Amino acid sequence: MGDQQQLILATGGYDHTIKVWQAHTGNCIKTMRFVETSQVNALDRTPDKTRLAACGYQCIRLYDLESNCTAPVINFDGVQKNVTRLGFQEDGNWMFTAGEDHHVRIWDMISSPPHCSRVFDCEAPVNSACLHPNQVEIAMGSQNGSVFLWDVKSERHERIVPEVDASIQDVAISPDGRYLVAANNKGNCYIWSLTSQDQKMSTLRPTKKFHAHKRYILRCKFSPDSRLLLTTSGDGTVGIWKTDDFTKWRELCIENYWVWDAAFSADSKWLFTASSDGIARLWKLQTKSSIRDYTGHTKAITALSFKDEIVGK
Amino acid sequence: MATYSNQHWLLSHIRNSFISTDDTGMCETVMLSDDMPKHYLRKFGNSGAGGDHYHRRRGHKPPPAGGGTTPERNTRHPDAPLQEVDFICYPGLDLSDDEEDMSTHSFDIQMYPEVGAHRFRSNTAQKLEKLDIAKRKAARIKSINYQEEVQPPDSEDFFRRKELPLKKDEPVEKPSKTNEDELSDEGIQSQLTEQLAKSPKQTQNRFIEFARFDGTSQVGMQTKRINVYLNMLPEPDRNYPLKICVLATAKIQEVIGYVCYKTSLQYPDVPLKSLQHYALYMTEDNDDMEDFPPLDNREPCSKFGFSHLTLAERRPLAPVTRVDYHGQLGTKSMTSEEDKAALAEAAVKALQNINLNGGKSNPGKGEDSPSDYVKEYEKRLLNHNDMLEAPMHRTFRLNIIDKRFFKSDVTLGISGERIEIDQYKNAKFWPQKKPVSTPIDLVAHCEIVERRHLKALLRIWLKSNSSSPSFTTGCASAPINASVTTLNMGSASAGNAHSPNSPGHSSGFFSSSNIRYKHYDFDTDTHTADQIQSKLTCILEMRSSELRREFLLQRERKMEKRQLKL
Repeated sequence: MGDQQQLILATGGYDHTIKVWQAHTGNCIKTMRFVETSQVNALDRTPDKTRLAACGYQCIRLYDLESNCTAPVINFDGVQKNVTRLGFQEDGNWMFTAGEDHHVRIWDMISSPPHCSRVFDCEAPVNSACLHPNQVEIAMGSQNGSVFLWDVKSERHERIVPEVDASIQDVAISPDGRYLVAANNKGNCYIWSLTSQDQKMSTLRPTKKFHAHKRYILRCKFSPDSRLLLTTSGDGTVGIWKTDDFTKWRELCIENYWVWDAAFSADSKWLFTASSDGIARLWKLQTKSSIRDYTGHTKAITALSFKDEIVGK
Repeated sequence: MATYSNQHWLLSHIRNSFISTDDTGMCETVMLSDDMPKHYLRKFGNSGAGGDHYHRRRGHKPPPAGGGTTPERNTRHPDAPLQEVDFICYPGLDLSDDEEDMSTHSFDIQMYPEVGAHRFRSNTAQKLEKLDIAKRKAARIKSINYQEEVQPPDSEDFFRRKELPLKKDEPVEKPSKTNEDELSDEGIQSQLTEQLAKSPKQTQNRFIEFARFDGTSQVGMQTKRINVYLNMLPEPDRNYPLKICVLATAKIQEVIGYVCYKTSLQYPDVPLKSLQHYALYMTEDNDDMEDFPPLDNREPCSKFGFSHLTLAERRPLAPVTRVDYHGQLGTKSMTSEEDKAALAEAAVKALQNINLNGGKSNPGKGEDSPSDYVKEYEKRLLNHNDMLEAPMHRTFRLNIIDKRFFKSDVTLGISGERIEIDQYKNAKFWPQKKPVSTPIDLVAHCEIVERRHLKALLRIWLKSNSSSPSFTTGCASAPINASVTTLNMGSASAGNAHSPNSPGHSSGFFSSSNIRYKHYDFDTDTHTADQIQSKLTCILEMRSSELRREFLLQRERKMEKRQLKL
């Protein structure tokens, strides 16, 4: 993992393929076959950047990014329904997966073979999950509108229903650990402040609710510096909000297409988007202009993963 | 065995085998003209009216002595005097022209694309190998059971809470030196920013739109692997092919674009020209380019079975193609040698006309600027395949528009020597009309007069038979309605296109010539209309007939007159 490692963007979508791109040129380096019956719901890279994990309908797969082999190195058997999110603990010791089988599972990735070491039952299909920067709490959002915060160490949890008859589409926790956001299918965002004392589980304090989009929100994410929050939506826009006061700072528009996923660069100056026109784009936030297109997918792109580094001041 | 010693059968068999296994797509142009078995049959087999019966009977008998041992020898020396008895028609192969066309020209036979080079391996062998590969792959994939029992971590430390650096609670202390729209830059820089800055001027690859034809790892889509030699590379590199995998649906034009895209990635220093400059040529696997014309840009690449191709600059027609057609160009339904010769001449003339340095320009347009000429040349070059295919017989289903505004379903057959209109068999209401056949000599022009969203109105102009005594066949009694009219519509005809029977001025409107024209109007979809129009125009242009020139001239004059009147 030298410094000269290529900076790559991974995208996956409805054409059952995962593509790996050279981030700064837009050239496709590698294409990997996903499962023939499934779209890609989420992508994440292991912290050492050597592997790429992808989940979809009835499948979870890990691919080796360093070899030329395009077949997976790890495959999960017996997966039921859609697996909607996955992610890694910062040392790569464990991975979490969230699925429509109501369960969020923690996978011990350092023992061989990897095995499941915790399960949480949300009692409804889980649409999203994300890891708190403290590396022991997981926020989850379910289809029946519940938001959970689960401490995997103590196995305690808290549950909130911010809005009835709405499905939570995505949850995110800011990298500085201050905020939890949940976005629902009505276009609303709910913000809670998180506080934690003495190694105890964080407490949630409702802070703000705002209407971000006219339609479905698909993803929400904080920027690495925690100063921005993005929301992508079925209305073809990406809203970028300042976390000082949650007012809109920028809006990016890909007309007539759903924006399924997005990712910030490490310095929060650039943004990648994945949309249903099959094109991933790189935006310069300062000017709101799209400066690179990543073309090659034949159908909608539904997930992307980008891991950047800070190189210095 | 009787079969294998029958020359007719053997010849037909060799011919069919070649056509059905031909990867090049070239057999159509090379072999179509001379159907040897048919040729011999005509020459030696059909003696007298009772010939068919005679040979059919003979066919079942063992061949004459000696013929059985050396059947091929005769065909290898076509000049050697053949006896009638030497060439015995094989039963079933001497059917009438139409049926025979069906049986010998089996162009629709296609190999499974994935078979390619392994043509001789059975499907089972391939399937077994695939299974084997899958098994070996699976052995390398670690498998985890998703539903397995939960095993809590052994170590207390497995889940370790990480202390977050406590941020000062007054984030507002940051000096808001910039205006509202600017977020203050804390001076940090990411790897992405750095890399983007290093390649600031790198514009997007101009072939990037072709990246979507990448077939690597496509699931559920036919793809095609081709090794492409790149002619524009310097010496060592050009000997190694670029391995590409494209979607089978990509047209050759798009394959060229994709190859350019891959080339620009792999050899960023090699300057590439625009797409129009390149073509894909057939190639042996030792990278020798064949002297065939390039693959047709508009065909899907799945049509061709090559494993190796060369991307090279589009070259002017190789001399060999011109020689090939000298005296050999023909259509399937060629009957007289005279026709053949005439058409061949026309083709050669047409090809020679494209010669850039020919000096003589068309008599019609004397003041062509050189650039026009080059454009014309390029246009024709691209049409080369059109021209080769044009004389081949082809039928189209469409609607003819009747005098009374009615449409009826007809088949229009077009070949290098005639057009035929035949009412479709199960038209219900009207009594069957006789089919009409018109020699191509009497066809003057073909145009699309009206183009709507999906439909188009196609018009074919013919010399009216009233002034052409030679034209008597077929059309004489109650032909499918064609309106006889002098050319008096000019270009304004589009509006009232549905009334082809515009007042029939009797002749003599133009002083220069008294030729009268009639036209058939067809209603069809735009695609078919375009196809017919380009095919027929090609044929007419190749023949460069007097009639057509006359027609266009008249029309031009008419237009001028109208303009003067206005």
